[in-house]
Amino acid sequence: MEEGGLLVEAVGPRVKLGVLEEFLNLARANSLWPMTFGLACCAIEMMATVAARFDLARFGAEVMRPSPRQCDFMIVSGTITKKIAPVVRTLYEQMASPKWVVAYGNCAISGGPFVFEGQYNVIEGVDKVIPVDVYVPGCPPRPEALLEALLKLQEKLTGVRRFPGPERRW
Amino acid sequence: MRLWLKRLYRLYFQSDPFKAGLCLLAALTGVSILLGLAWLLGKALWDLGISAWGVDFLRLVLGALWVLLVLFGNALLLVWVERKVAGHMQWRIGPKEVGPFGLLQSIADAVKLMGKELVSPRYVDKPLYLLAPFLIFMPCVVVLLVIPFDPHLQIRDINVGIVLILAFSSLTSIAVFMAGWGSVNKYSLLGGMRSISQQIAYEIPMVLSIVPVVMLSGSLSLKGIVEAQKVPYLLLQPVAFFIYLISAVAEVNRTPFDLPEAESELVAGYHIEYSGMRFAMFFLAEYTNLFIVSALLTTFFLAGYKGPWLPGWAWFFIKTYLVVFVIMWFRWTFPRVRFDQLLNFSWKFLIPLAMLNLVVTGGVLKL
Amino acid sequence: MVAEGLLRDLDAIGCVVEEVPYERKGYWFDVKAQKEKLPELAGAFDQHGYFVEEVVCVDWREELELLYHFNHWDDPRRFSVRTRVKATDPEVPSIWNIYPGAGWHEREIHEFFGVKFKGHPNLSYLFLHPDIDFYPLRKDFVPVTEEDKRVLLGRFPEGDEESFWLNMGPQHPSTHGVLRLLLKMKGEFIEDMEPVLGYMHRMQEKMAEERSYSQYYPNTARMDYVAPLAFSLCYVLALERCCGIEVPERAQFIRLIAMELNRIASHLLWLGTYLLDLGAATPYFFAFDDREQILDILEGLTGSRLTYCYYRIGGVYEDLNEGFLEAVDRFIQRMKRRLKDYDELVTGNAIFLGRTKGIGVIPKEVARRYGVTGPNLRASGVAFDIRVCEPYDGYRFLKPKVALREEGDSFARYLVRLDEIRASLSLLEEAISKVPEGPYRVEKLPKRPPVGDVFFATEGARGEVGVYIVSDGSDKPYRLKWRSPSFSNFVSFTEIGKGMLIADAVATLGSLDLVVPEMDR
Repeated sequence: MEEGGLLVEAVGPRVKLGVLEEFLNLARANSLWPMTFGLACCAIEMMATVAARFDLARFGAEVMRPSPRQCDFMIVSGTITKKIAPVVRTLYEQMASPKWVVAYGNCAISGGPFVFEGQYNVIEGVDKVIPVDVYVPGCPPRPEALLEALLKLQEKLTGVRRFPGPERRW
Repeated sequence: MRLWLKRLYRLYFQSDPFKAGLCLLAALTGVSILLGLAWLLGKALWDLGISAWGVDFLRLVLGALWVLLVLFGNALLLVWVERKVAGHMQWRIGPKEVGPFGLLQSIADAVKLMGKELVSPRYVDKPLYLLAPFLIFMPCVVVLLVIPFDPHLQIRDINVGIVLILAFSSLTSIAVFMAGWGSVNKYSLLGGMRSISQQIAYEIPMVLSIVPVVMLSGSLSLKGIVEAQKVPYLLLQPVAFFIYLISAVAEVNRTPFDLPEAESELVAGYHIEYSGMRFAMFFLAEYTNLFIVSALLTTFFLAGYKGPWLPGWAWFFIKTYLVVFVIMWFRWTFPRVRFDQLLNFSWKFLIPLAMLNLVVTGGVLKL
Repeated sequence: MVAEGLLRDLDAIGCVVEEVPYERKGYWFDVKAQKEKLPELAGAFDQHGYFVEEVVCVDWREELELLYHFNHWDDPRRFSVRTRVKATDPEVPSIWNIYPGAGWHEREIHEFFGVKFKGHPNLSYLFLHPDIDFYPLRKDFVPVTEEDKRVLLGRFPEGDEESFWLNMGPQHPSTHGVLRLLLKMKGEFIEDMEPVLGYMHRMQEKMAEERSYSQYYPNTARMDYVAPLAFSLCYVLALERCCGIEVPERAQFIRLIAMELNRIASHLLWLGTYLLDLGAATPYFFAFDDREQILDILEGLTGSRLTYCYYRIGGVYEDLNEGFLEAVDRFIQRMKRRLKDYDELVTGNAIFLGRTKGIGVIPKEVARRYGVTGPNLRASGVAFDIRVCEPYDGYRFLKPKVALREEGDSFARYLVRLDEIRASLSLLEEAISKVPEGPYRVEKLPKRPPVGDVFFATEGARGEVGVYIVSDGSDKPYRLKWRSPSFSNFVSFTEIGKGMLIADAVATLGSLDLVVPEMDR
């Protein structure tokens, strides 16, 4: 790890802003900018989500900035190997708070189909490296699952689910 | 007959360029409402007949308000327009969920950026790094002071308006280089250096294409140029128009000339290390610059605020936003030019062409 | 023919050459050689214009066996050169000076097996993480010796006064995947480069030794996730070849149709991302939309969008669903119209031409020495397409038209891929009208494959996909090695990239169409 990186401490914000915080969260939820961290197969489904059919930009998540300092959340899509783990860590620490992480795909959740007896290179899940907010299972998950993950993240921020599904009626 | 009408309907009303244009129309109606109110306020205050000293002071205050309105309102609007236009040209709709037609998207973006952590890497050159986002804004404000939005809506009509504009618009390249150098990062340094060479290279054709306009109108003040256009100079100086358009796109670092922030090569170029509100300033500055060069294009070549039966500022904004739309169209159609091709294009093609145009204009005027 | 001349030379050198049945083995000639004769052998192959497909190492516990697969563009009869070394002190002369592409394979074998290649300039870590302290693909735990560790951690980039090292990747907006290039830059020119691979090393080859043949099958789709059916097809066909299974014709046609659709989808994805690299954002959306049409069709057939588990040993999983053939037909008609749009928007664009014409030329000799295959090779003027040279499966009935260009620059590669889309469309048109009735799967399969080895090569979207399976009679493979086209294509970039501008490097890398997980395996 480079010398300049600092560990993000798991303490909450020292200043509570009350209603303003809610308003800020509302604004943040509606303009979540993802960072393209596509590693493997799930990256293609992430790219398909940004493409014309499953337009991610509808929810404000269009501006896919490649620089970590300008993004809000990181979609970790693909297998985390030992070589790429420090890179993931560095990128996470370079992101400006408030930041979130979506573990997209089975490999990012728990190593996926590459876990076997005697495996020597795969880290079983990205939550062993950085804290994760939303887990999206699938190999690869459909683009609709990524949209659902975005909606779940927005729900985490604002407390209100945008398109309530039928199972929420009770 | 009905079949033809149906076909026409399907062709124009449902095709995506039309939808993109529709967004533009929505933008214009929004702007015109705001501007109508501003104009009414100005007229009312003018008719009130306050003393000369008070009028001047009032004009200054109103001018400052006007500049702020144009700056921020325009940036907010253009962010939304760009995303919608991009969306429709790419067979999708842009922001849709945040407010009707996604109109509140820019506000959500702005508020979010205000609430973001301002990350300052440890090894940056603090003065340069912190000043750059502000310095990139100042030239825009100064230039907005002299643009004639309407015969009665120009904050100060300086008689060497063009010189002022050209002088101040070169300052943006200093700010970009400050950002590139100050964030101690090889990529942003490359971005900053590219930006400087690009802006220097394209200043010259820009100036050379404005000179025939000055020659034709006989005045250096912007209002004088607009007043002198009985026929829009687009028809009299088509070559100069295209040279100015291309140089303008290069000056504001838009695709196909957006190498300083070339995403796939330089990972966001000169503003890699900026986050939160500082990044928002760069963002804002880009759209404001876009508006300014389009406004200047309308002033020089499209007869500014002149036009039948609509008030002057309405025509001005319609023309400006049409140019903005065309520049956005460029962005989503063309790939990026390579850096040496960019410089070659300017030094070896545009400048000789501009000089030729100048000579021919001079010759024709003499005769 | 070329092979006869070579056989005479091999006799002169003094190796034992044996002709083997191609239908069961996948190669024509088996050459057993002493390890000292390897450079001489390689020279003989080079003289006759052969290229190295891959270098494989198999661990037979007391001995390590090295195999070199040679092939020729005009006379595609594969030679397999074997040599054995003692496992305790494996040392083999390197052939990197004759075949630099083989040099890269040797580097990989060194870090996975511990075989020392005498004379190789750089045997440092390529795929593995430097923390590892054993040779992963050896059957028993063999720790890395001290002196070998020094060699493995060996080369570090040195700079001098005027140049600096720029790091490209591993996180790229250019969506190649996780590829890292250390570029020694002089201003904007690249002087030297050092690739660091292995960020996506998912131990596919080790995993094959722990899983049975059918359990391993889903992994094949995750190798190259853009055109996964090529790898699946290769694996399935290799096992069918080795066991001698006769696949019903209907299954062969279905496989061909799915493979060609996948090829078109892969080329469309390449088109979108390549133009995104160059700065044009719009064709990406158009290409992805077209790709979605294909994915819809394939989803109706196989059930998944990206990683298909559709082929089975002996046929396909399920028969064609209703409406599949009509959907493919509609897609073909639509795609033909859309290709005109791409031509208008992209091909004639002056800026695009300026970025790609004359950039990144791969001369034929470089392509041969590095083992470049696929559209990259066909853009350099060599009509080598495995579907035509070594027909397999459905391609025995239908021959695709081979797209060919002479210049070898990025623009030629772009045109070749567009031509390949057109060729695939006409092949599909022919295929859907000719699908025969019948069973879609073989009913009885043998329990285990026989002892022995088999090699199979198919034409994937990126080049020649090959698999080499060594079976010891059990239900798990003894050794499984993938010949990855992206790896061979990429290592040619280390030679043509020197002296380029960085913008050109981006354009060239994009035009090579690399998918990193199949490089890293």
